[in-house]
Amino acid sequence: MKKVCILRIEGTNCEDETFAAFHKVGAEPERVHLKQLTGHAPLDLRRDLMDYDILALPGGFSAGDYIRAGAIFAARMKASLGTQLRDFVTQGRPVIGICNGFQILVELGLRPAFDEVMAPQPQVALYTNDSDRFECRPTLLRMDNRGSCVWTSGLGMGDVVMFPSAHAEGHLKFPAGEEDRFLERLDENDQIVFRYVDEDGQLAGYPWNPNGSPGNVAGICNPEGNVLGLMPHPERAMTRFNYPEWTRGRDGDDGDGLRLFRAVVGRN
Amino acid sequence: MSIDHLLKRRPVDFDIHDIDLFSAEDQELKELSSTLGLSLSLEEMWTIRSHFLRIGRIPSDVELQSVAQAWSEHCCYKSSRTILKENVFSIHHPDVLARGDAGVMAFDDEHAYALRIESHNHPSAIEPYGGAATGIGGILRDVVCMGAQPIALVDPLCFGKPDRDLDVPPGVKHPRYLLRGVVSGIRDYGNRVGVPTVAGGIYFDERYTGNCLVNVGCVGIARRDEITRNHVGGVGDRLILCGGRTGRDGIHGVTFASADLTAESEEESRGAVQLGDPIMKEPTIHACLDVNRMGLITGMKDLGGGGLSCVVGEMALDGGCGAVVHLDRVPLKEEGVVPWEVWVSESQERMMLAARKEDVPRILEMFDLWDVPATVIGEAVEGHHVKLIWGDEVVYHMDLNFVTAGPEYCRPFVIREPTTVECVEFPQLPALDDVMLSLLREPNIASKEWAIRQYDHEVRASTVIKPLQGRMNRQGPGDASVMKPVESSWRGLGIAVGCNPWYTAEDPYNGGMASVDEVCRNLVSVGARPHAITDCLNFGNPEKPDRLGDFRDAVRGIGEVCRRLSIPIPSGNVSFYNESAGGVALPTPVLLGTGIVEDVRHCVTSDLKAEGGALFLVGETRDEMGASALFRRFGGRGGKVPDVDVDMLEHSIDLMMDAMSAGMVAACHDCSDGGVAIALAEMCIGGSIGASIDLRPMGDLPMTVRLFSESNTRWVVEVAKGREADFEAAMDGLAVRIGTVSGDTLSVKDGFKLGLEAMREAWTSLATMLG
Repeated sequence: MKKVCILRIEGTNCEDETFAAFHKVGAEPERVHLKQLTGHAPLDLRRDLMDYDILALPGGFSAGDYIRAGAIFAARMKASLGTQLRDFVTQGRPVIGICNGFQILVELGLRPAFDEVMAPQPQVALYTNDSDRFECRPTLLRMDNRGSCVWTSGLGMGDVVMFPSAHAEGHLKFPAGEEDRFLERLDENDQIVFRYVDEDGQLAGYPWNPNGSPGNVAGICNPEGNVLGLMPHPERAMTRFNYPEWTRGRDGDDGDGLRLFRAVVGRN
Repeated sequence: MSIDHLLKRRPVDFDIHDIDLFSAEDQELKELSSTLGLSLSLEEMWTIRSHFLRIGRIPSDVELQSVAQAWSEHCCYKSSRTILKENVFSIHHPDVLARGDAGVMAFDDEHAYALRIESHNHPSAIEPYGGAATGIGGILRDVVCMGAQPIALVDPLCFGKPDRDLDVPPGVKHPRYLLRGVVSGIRDYGNRVGVPTVAGGIYFDERYTGNCLVNVGCVGIARRDEITRNHVGGVGDRLILCGGRTGRDGIHGVTFASADLTAESEEESRGAVQLGDPIMKEPTIHACLDVNRMGLITGMKDLGGGGLSCVVGEMALDGGCGAVVHLDRVPLKEEGVVPWEVWVSESQERMMLAARKEDVPRILEMFDLWDVPATVIGEAVEGHHVKLIWGDEVVYHMDLNFVTAGPEYCRPFVIREPTTVECVEFPQLPALDDVMLSLLREPNIASKEWAIRQYDHEVRASTVIKPLQGRMNRQGPGDASVMKPVESSWRGLGIAVGCNPWYTAEDPYNGGMASVDEVCRNLVSVGARPHAITDCLNFGNPEKPDRLGDFRDAVRGIGEVCRRLSIPIPSGNVSFYNESAGGVALPTPVLLGTGIVEDVRHCVTSDLKAEGGALFLVGETRDEMGASALFRRFGGRGGKVPDVDVDMLEHSIDLMMDAMSAGMVAACHDCSDGGVAIALAEMCIGGSIGASIDLRPMGDLPMTVRLFSESNTRWVVEVAKGREADFEAAMDGLAVRIGTVSGDTLSVKDGFKLGLEAMREAWTSLATMLG
């Protein structure tokens, strides 16, 4: 059974539903405080990152997000867990960062990480939504990955899924003047995984794209495809009863999130 | 007049005074009460003096401050207790498992849920962002200290009219500023602690201009065997203070809340507003619930109004003990906080745990893992006295029976005559199309999406029916939200608000009854059977007989309906003194209702579903235009405020629940502000589809009454195709067919005809207006 480390610090707040999501697809998840991995916990609670098969960074407001979303959690991880984390990733073990988790991956330099496992400086940033507000709303995502990403191996290219969004800082920001080059490069490397779309599966503006991200990019992976970061919440879409329109009719009890989590738990 | 000669400084190396009540004249007693911020009456000062005369010594400032906290209206409900006992506390139900800091109700055989609502009005009027945020913090602690994981927040808010060019009196903040601040405070605190905000309401009226109301409710879930007590287990138990540090913020919060606001409140009472820190709260919740689940604690209580002074006394007394506390061990935010300040400070994010001595080390380890301070500050002892020690000095030694036996008043009240049908003055109305658009634009009816989407209403992934309902990115309003709190079960919990201050202002008894009717209607609309209510009763100064009369009658109305429907009220809150120089706030009982959903897969939403669907009106419409949205918008006066036929309400709930379980109902929306007409418009907006309506089956009433009367116990229902006859039969004559879902306009025969987009544009105008 796949062991999943659901990593948290103060202010991480989506660990319960992330736990439930992995549990539902038959994995063995555990909520682990960063201090349990770094030896700063009672003996019986200490854990080793390398004992886990999958690492999940759930959503929330880690350490309050008072500086830049995810920055503090990332700094603490880098300082105390950097080498292990690099090994975990290079060994191809699946890593997912959802919402604040995605912001942490970006701050860690794990996303987009074109040429190296973990860049010394963040190469992109997740910036304040164009609306300048926190946006809690359902979002439709088109799966645009051509096959590199392990997390989406259960989805077909062009499939549209509903994962809800809830964030204030989800606008993917590239260095000034390099937006097109970054987008092209992400696409060449098959690193773009999800794009915000409308009901017809077409790229569309607000509110379909809740934050104004260029290219409607909602989620990206590393070139190897084992590390996925996305703003919307697949763990909030595990049954159809999480859907905004479920009372308007939809078949079966399953939600789209199942296909994402099953893909990595079912491997080997 | 100086009272300095009454303050006797003790010869110790910290700041403490004994207060010479014995030699104080009456005028000086009053002066003491005011200068020391005690908010005690002269009679209350006499009672305290008599007590110390019996003991044979004068009180320390710590002792005097402590009694003032315990005897404040906020803490001891001295003006309301008799009325509440009679009407509310006496409703018993086997599903009530506890009435502690929050009420606890049975959910299923293994689980229970906790619920509570309270006010944070005065702090929010001074500092809207911090006031609202700490309101959330406080209500979360009430639920956590029952051993329950918070799963939902609810925020009903009342403000003055949001017109940009509104003039406000000195010392009063503009409603738009307050609204923005409060919504931001709720957003930043609620979203950070990871508890979804799933219901609420924003009400606007000029009578809230100087008296905004910020009510905050919370619901939590627990395994039944995890429900904790709010008191110590027994003698020898250690008292562990955990969470935030203690500072000078939030001094005199409860005495501040127990007096009217004035133009000087800003200057004088800024210190009474606490500072919130959700990122201390979030791990504190984890750690508290963890040590509770591990069976390491014997009791838990949150530090709210009155701070340590209230929590230590209540935890000890309710556990049949006294306590000794080393006040100098309390972790502080800053140097130089004096003993009485430590004792009454309402600094946020603090909880008190009681535990057996042998379990203390493990508890401290668990808190250390989360980097949350936790400190043993005292222990439970034999007897019923609390002793406080600072260094080697005893700074407080009091009999709990005296401190907690606050006064209880049967204050005088007058009951007003409600307005009658005879003096009705029907307003001059423009064309009905324009009436409709004007009502949809009215801030009380218009979409609150601007606020709702700033709150994360889906974190924890258990919100199966959401506050906005219908087609994606084109939703209409919902009546209630539904949570699915237990992963392995389809059982759900409906959450809704009922509040109509305008009815209550014109006719408090009917207003109270109508609030219960509304909360029940809202729950039933999504398929939840009403189960429990928690109430926040916001009224004016209870020392004024007419205000107390309104309170008494509203509570009587609430109690009457709840008793007959067998809906218990296991928790609640009274907020008096919602008055300022500009006048008194509307009398505002806010009800948070919960309902049981047997299977969430049968839930229903308000949006119209499909072309050809049959529309029915359930319930009887009468000429009840008093305080209606139509009258308020267009200047009507008088008229009968909607009455509640409790037998009919009970019967209707049963029939509607049966129809829903049988899958007959495709969409359902209650009729409230704006009556049938607005209910239909909102259902069209949510479903992005029109309807063709003929209201003649409603009976012999003028068209405006059919459209806009707000008679209680009514719903508009879209019946699933092919089930029309079943539904009509099942409803036992209570349902009449009024039309069909069709096209892209809402057209009412002999009434009006409006396109979807025009209605949507009007209904969403508030967001544009607020920017």
